[in-house]
Amino acid sequence: MNRPQNGNRSVKMQHTFSGILIGVAITLGGCATTSGVEQQTVANKADPYENFNRKMFVFNDHVDNYVAEPISNAYKWITPQFMQTGVFNFFNNLKNVNVVINDVLQAKFSQSAEDTGRFAINSTVGLGGLFDVAKHVGLEQNEEDFDQTLAVWGVPQGSYLVLPILGPSTARGIPGAVFDTAANPASYIGMPVQLVSMLNARASAEGALKFIDEAALDPYVFTRESFLQWRTNLATDGKSEASDVDGFDDEPLDGNKGTASGQSSPGNADASNKAGFALRLDAETKEFEQASHSFSSVAQSFDDTAKSFEDAGAKLDKLKKSKKYAR
Amino acid sequence: MVLKNMKLAVVFMFLLFGTANAFAADEGAATAKQVVEKFQADLIAVMKDGKKLGYAGRYEKLKDPVSNSHELTKIARIVVGKEWEKLSEEQQQKLVDVFSRLSIASYAHNFKDYSGESFVFDSEEETTRGGVVVHSHFVVPGDKPVKFDYMLKEKGTSWRIINIIANGVSDLALKRSEYTTILQREGFDALITKINEKIDNYSKQ
Repeated sequence: MNRPQNGNRSVKMQHTFSGILIGVAITLGGCATTSGVEQQTVANKADPYENFNRKMFVFNDHVDNYVAEPISNAYKWITPQFMQTGVFNFFNNLKNVNVVINDVLQAKFSQSAEDTGRFAINSTVGLGGLFDVAKHVGLEQNEEDFDQTLAVWGVPQGSYLVLPILGPSTARGIPGAVFDTAANPASYIGMPVQLVSMLNARASAEGALKFIDEAALDPYVFTRESFLQWRTNLATDGKSEASDVDGFDDEPLDGNKGTASGQSSPGNADASNKAGFALRLDAETKEFEQASHSFSSVAQSFDDTAKSFEDAGAKLDKLKKSKKYAR
Repeated sequence: MVLKNMKLAVVFMFLLFGTANAFAADEGAATAKQVVEKFQADLIAVMKDGKKLGYAGRYEKLKDPVSNSHELTKIARIVVGKEWEKLSEEQQQKLVDVFSRLSIASYAHNFKDYSGESFVFDSEEETTRGGVVVHSHFVVPGDKPVKFDYMLKEKGTSWRIINIIANGVSDLALKRSEYTTILQREGFDALITKINEKIDNYSKQ
């Protein structure tokens, strides 16, 4: 029905923004946790701080309307299309350093080789990344980052958070973004390049933002849902979708279930996602055993890491619950 | 002689009846894959004529393909979740009506012209609850392909689309979150007003 790759871009851009003000974000994100809980009205499992998030969303929207959008429009007006594409390719190429690191951390070794090749081709034949030559050789850009790596390791997504200026994120996305920024060469180049990077990000998000504007009845919810679904899809490499669909089957037809059914479904989805990650790791493990024994021990250690993360998650959940009851 | 003639007539009639029956079966019992592919073909056809047709022309041409391949009543019901039971019959009818128009309008608006796009079928998969998911992707020249997964349910003798998942983002889940939130926060009339605004905006551009 719609063209979601645009939606992805907008999120991508907000992720790029996250590179710059991440320190501020974490402090403010901390504030969010305290102010949100008290005035919670509309219940949504993934979004317990909806009241705060909505305010931030409106704030970000104003900043975009009055600052980011005019500057971005000016950039698009004065810059010829081929230069805009070159700038986009350049920053996209630098991101591949981070992609390769995360390929390895997620034990996707063949993909990491492909992405290394992609980076090498575009950095040389593609004149430092200005031209996306690799695409024509059949090496598509992959989307990997630290948030996905943490997901594969079994760290739960945590609450949805709208950060000032930086936009949509999750509790897991914040540390993810810190690592991503550290692993991106563009972060170390300096101010004028950073500025161009931001301009590029906003300009490439134009289509997506326009699409949200056109399609969303409630832009806040629209952005939240598409962001969370997009992240889950990336983290599971598209394997979670079939089970997600089934969740809707006939549900509203038996209205007797009432609130109970409504609340239980997100939990189920969560569970199935977790199963998805576990499955992923399982499959990878098998592959390695066939390939080589040293690999299988790596996979084993990943498995163990995942388990310990999951245990930690469960403990945190318990703590949270006991706190709630104590109140 | 008479007997032979009668025999022939019977065989002939049998054949006629048989073929007629086969045709009827073909038309009624389109498989999930056929329903999706027919709709995609209709959509591409409208895109090819998109500029000439204009928004109103595209809307008219897509009206039947969309309503015949999508189970719009059920979709409208699912997107409001458990709020459906709280609506009066009149409100339910109004919601289905407005929602159907929105669905057609968003197709007419988002698929407005043609630059070599095509749909490619990937695979078909049965779900545990008797549905079918048709996996396909939308090829856009010079851009990354978009994954389109269609979730279908059997309705009578035919299959109907009840959800579309584009690059992992479920249209049904997205709409359901939006619609239930608006119903809870602002009520039914606000929801209808907002949907109508969207339809208006689509028609203007």
